[in-house]
Amino acid sequence: MSTTQRQSVVAPVLVCALALGLWEAVVRINHIPHYILPAPSLVAQTLWTDLPSLLPSMWFTIKITAGALLLAVVGGVLVAAVFASSRRIENAFFPLAIVLQVTPIVAIAPLILIYIESTTVALLICAFIVAFFPILANTVVGLRSADANLRDLFTLYGASRWQRLHLLLAPSALPYFLAGLRIAGGLALIGAVVAEFAAGAAGRETGLASRILEASFRTEIPRMFAALVLVSMVGIGIFLVFDWLARRLLGRWHDTEMHQSSH
Amino acid sequence: MSNLPDPSVALSMQGIGVRFPTGVQALDQLELELCRGEFLSLLGPSGCGKSTALRLAAGLAQPTTGTMQRAPDMRLGFVFQEPTLMPWATVFDNVRLPLRLQGRSVASVRDEVMQVLELVGLTEFVNAYPRELSGGMRMRVSIARALATRPNLLLLDEPFAALDEITRGRLDDDLLRIWQEQSLTVVFVTHSVYEAVYLSSRIAVFSGRPGRIVESIDIDPALTRDEAFRASERYARWCVQASGLLSRAYA
Repeated sequence: MSTTQRQSVVAPVLVCALALGLWEAVVRINHIPHYILPAPSLVAQTLWTDLPSLLPSMWFTIKITAGALLLAVVGGVLVAAVFASSRRIENAFFPLAIVLQVTPIVAIAPLILIYIESTTVALLICAFIVAFFPILANTVVGLRSADANLRDLFTLYGASRWQRLHLLLAPSALPYFLAGLRIAGGLALIGAVVAEFAAGAAGRETGLASRILEASFRTEIPRMFAALVLVSMVGIGIFLVFDWLARRLLGRWHDTEMHQSSH
Repeated sequence: MSNLPDPSVALSMQGIGVRFPTGVQALDQLELELCRGEFLSLLGPSGCGKSTALRLAAGLAQPTTGTMQRAPDMRLGFVFQEPTLMPWATVFDNVRLPLRLQGRSVASVRDEVMQVLELVGLTEFVNAYPRELSGGMRMRVSIARALATRPNLLLLDEPFAALDEITRGRLDDDLLRIWQEQSLTVVFVTHSVYEAVYLSSRIAVFSGRPGRIVESIDIDPALTRDEAFRASERYARWCVQASGLLSRAYA
């Protein structure tokens, strides 16, 4: 690891440690009871003891998030390809996509939960709705971003539609798609959690949001924090995976990645 | 687009007019006959339609009026104003693109790609990505790509306009060498009088919009193009003549 790389790890870790230390100190010095604000040490302890009961919920939340994201990628890319090939279709359908995007998912979720019998499917749909738009919008722009001269070059050499798509349009759209994917990853998790709050679901086949709700009913504040930590960890995990993916795929050719890898 | 009467003619444009959907008349009554082996420069003010004429020659645009004919055995290479490389592909893959679009496999084209890279002096950068190269090198890759299909008609649209003077001079010399070695026919769009005189065997001077060829200047193709030529009185005279025609076109 180079010095600059080490610095980029050391500084955030230090800030985190400092914030946690401050939190711990404030709780201990002021004798704040744990049902108001638990100290980080207690949260860590609760996380450890409650992990067996929280892990299946985390796994459920991950499944919903990943499933919704997969649907959003497939749907978003397909619809984007149709939109990019015809301005008319785009003009006709884009407002619909925008309506879906701007209506808060908390407001739609109760309706979806009424219409869809299976809670799991309803959650999947909610998470899908929020993840779909950034992928669609970014991919449409990306497919249109192909250099005009390169398009001419493909015409000049009589490229087939397929050659044009996979040799020119898809690589041009890739950075845009990946940026959309990063946004969609975070949103899918938010969608999954928010929809579960709206569902107020209980039982075994439920995610971290249900654990937080349950704990709040019983005023088990440390357990709420513990579940919250796990939600954050899922979010961070999603971010890291897509960040790695972007570096992997764009690697040497794209400006945004060059800056990071040359440091 | 065949039945050209004279077999020595590579390309002919008769009574060409181009009107854009915006209503702008880009070209009007353009007459042009390009002979095989010529190095023809299209010289004119910006926006005079010389690039449009080049796009017509390539078949990338269609005339509103008039006819464009190209000899059936003409194989095209096109170089844009910018290098226009695929940033996600290595130099090798960029140069290979035209051959790939013809459906040829990597293995069968490797030697050909290396040959054209040698022609532009870039064999050691075969695995580099465009962003790792200088502007001049990127332009060389672009030229290599245009040469990959072994064209006999090379069309260049102000290819060196964005480069510094020294790089530009080097690429001019490279282009002349390739023109002679490969017995190419070249159409070169430029707004630089000096570049046009240095390179061409004929200069077609365009009027301002709507574009039309107002005058032709013939330059002995047998003359050696080097620093001595640049310093010669004949070179200066041609430059004065072309400048005079060009400033009248601007008026």
